[in-house]
Amino acid sequence: MPTVKFYASLRKVTGEREAQIQAGSVKEVLQRLSTDYDGELRRYLKISSILVNGKNVIHMKGKRTRLKPDDVVSIFPPLGGG
Amino acid sequence: MSTKYSGYLGRFLDIDLSTGKVGEYDVTDEMLEAYLGSKGLASKILYDTLSKGVNPLGEENVFIVNTGPLVNSGAPCTSRFNVTTKSPLTGGILSCNCGGNFGMFLKRAGFDGLILRGKASKPTWIHIEDGEVELKDAKDLWGLTTEEAQEKLPKGTGKMVIGPAGENAVLYACIISQERALGRGGAGAVMGSKNIKAITAKGNHKVPKANPEKFKKDVRKWVEILKEHPSTGEMMPEYGTAVFINRCNAANTLPTHNFKRGSFAEADAVSGETLAETRLTGNFGCASCVIKCGRRVEVDGKNVKGPEYETLGLLGPNLENPDLGLICDWNYQADLVGVDTVSLGNVLGFAMELNENGLWDNGLEFGKVDNISGVIDDIANRRGIGDDLADGVKRLSEKYGGKDYAMEVKGLELPAYEPRGAVGHGLGYAIANRGGCHIGGGYMVYFEANGPLTMDPLTTRAKPQLTAMLQTMLDALSDSGSCQFTGFTTIPKQAIELNPHGNVYRVVAKSLELMGPMMELILRFPKMLAFVPPMALMQHPRVITDLTGMKMTFGKFLEIGLRTYMIERLFNAREGFTGADDTLPRRSTHQVQEGGTDTTVPLNQMIRIYYRVRGLDANGAPKHDTLRRLGMRA
Repeated sequence: MPTVKFYASLRKVTGEREAQIQAGSVKEVLQRLSTDYDGELRRYLKISSILVNGKNVIHMKGKRTRLKPDDVVSIFPPLGGG
Repeated sequence: MSTKYSGYLGRFLDIDLSTGKVGEYDVTDEMLEAYLGSKGLASKILYDTLSKGVNPLGEENVFIVNTGPLVNSGAPCTSRFNVTTKSPLTGGILSCNCGGNFGMFLKRAGFDGLILRGKASKPTWIHIEDGEVELKDAKDLWGLTTEEAQEKLPKGTGKMVIGPAGENAVLYACIISQERALGRGGAGAVMGSKNIKAITAKGNHKVPKANPEKFKKDVRKWVEILKEHPSTGEMMPEYGTAVFINRCNAANTLPTHNFKRGSFAEADAVSGETLAETRLTGNFGCASCVIKCGRRVEVDGKNVKGPEYETLGLLGPNLENPDLGLICDWNYQADLVGVDTVSLGNVLGFAMELNENGLWDNGLEFGKVDNISGVIDDIANRRGIGDDLADGVKRLSEKYGGKDYAMEVKGLELPAYEPRGAVGHGLGYAIANRGGCHIGGGYMVYFEANGPLTMDPLTTRAKPQLTAMLQTMLDALSDSGSCQFTGFTTIPKQAIELNPHGNVYRVVAKSLELMGPMMELILRFPKMLAFVPPMALMQHPRVITDLTGMKMTFGKFLEIGLRTYMIERLFNAREGFTGADDTLPRRSTHQVQEGGTDTTVPLNQMIRIYYRVRGLDANGAPKHDTLRRLGMRA
């Protein structure tokens, strides 16, 4: 089952650092998260970047990116810093 | 000097420490129009003042402290001040920019800047008050930590001080103002070489404004923009720069094991999130700041400044150290003795790898933390192995070997971004004028791995042009006296809040890769942007116009940034730097990351385009035509 890791504000919203999500694609991960957590998370998911094994899915197949059971999905809200 | 422009005090001190003579340096209106202030203006003064080949730690080097027009004006995030000198670490030009409070107090004392020449005959403290200068005996301050020295200096003054590392000529000694650092390149060692322990300033001068009503109105709007923006109004106050640890780790851009890898299994233990959950006692900002990215933590029962992203990355993963508490302790200790934590983390990591490879038996090992605190003190006092470590990575590699993994450019150690995971950022390290620097290099990683709107981090498309554009904007921001973090709002809130999985985002992100030719055209002919940008897009030109009375268009603002880079280039070229110095460590260009990206930084193909965009010749020097276009000459 892929591991989904939450960062920055998403940890406050979910109350968790990570979760195991039964999903075969990024789209399924987002659907499961939207169902399992409250509306605040849905607002963040709309503006968050998603990396699969370190690669941003916008440079892969977006939400259609397929997932294997040992994949790590990292979700980040927009950040600023340097 | 006097000036027709508001925003300035119109006085620039010129102090000869060898003779004790105090005069004024003549800064003309033409110089202000061309360079605005801060880094650009100081670089011009340094270029005009020094001749080729002076010893950076000798009497003939000069040490310039100055401000931009926005400093102490009431504009947000404008307490910055600048130090420019010839670096003892690189032998090239060095400018450092700092928050703290000294810049504001220097202007209150009635001066835009000061230049120190020669060398005082004994430890000295310079006090500037309401237009007057006094050179005071600093024998009771010499040897003190930066905190002790600041506590002993008069209350109600702006202060900048060095610690024992600056006194002992550690080549990456820094300068501290309150708890902020002029960190990189050894400015603290130059100050120490002149026997100056501290400079203090106070006074009641106010910054004159050309259009006070409009200035007030635009500043109010600017504060609103900063507070409402997701980067400057939410993430930076909440997590500070430390929030990048996990993001960089996920994107293989977190230096680990002396940059051998781009991710660390225990990165979360030293992340901004963990810092906020376990050790944070509050956040803070420099004077006039509305962002407040600074962290506060408890060390030995004291509430002190917490580590920034760079420090966390380089004293944590880069040393295979997952102990956040120790990083907080070392960060505080490094500030007390006055050493740059970026160079420190590199020096320790490099020494550990030398030991691992059997090249130098020094007792330092990755993951071994019990001896680090002692080594920091040894470096500051040049004791034992600390004497070698105090000379930085480049000189260590010349003495012990390991050149391929000596992570420095032009002698300056790399910041905490592993460039094989963000190749445009690697280009920035190679061509930054002060050496391996993320700010001087344009901070391309923000558009490759960390920011809200990212390109493919491994493509080279448009990276040279974007790097040149970002450098130019960051240089111009610095010249104005503004914190570079205000630049985050140049990406509108609406763009940051685009759905990364929607078509609009995809088009915008992809279009970045197509913007190369347009960027190149703008950088070649910036004057064509003869308008003042809308407040919501970029605040600085409008507020500078309100304040100074200069008609600051976007094009003129960019031209100031272009000149700033070019005057630094001219300085380095005169010192003998060539295209061969615009390079990266072999580890970055010829070895793939262990367990990370399977690519290296394709530097040569990017640098060729970068030189063309900048108007540099094949050897990295400014072309005559480029200088002419910018109204400059060698």
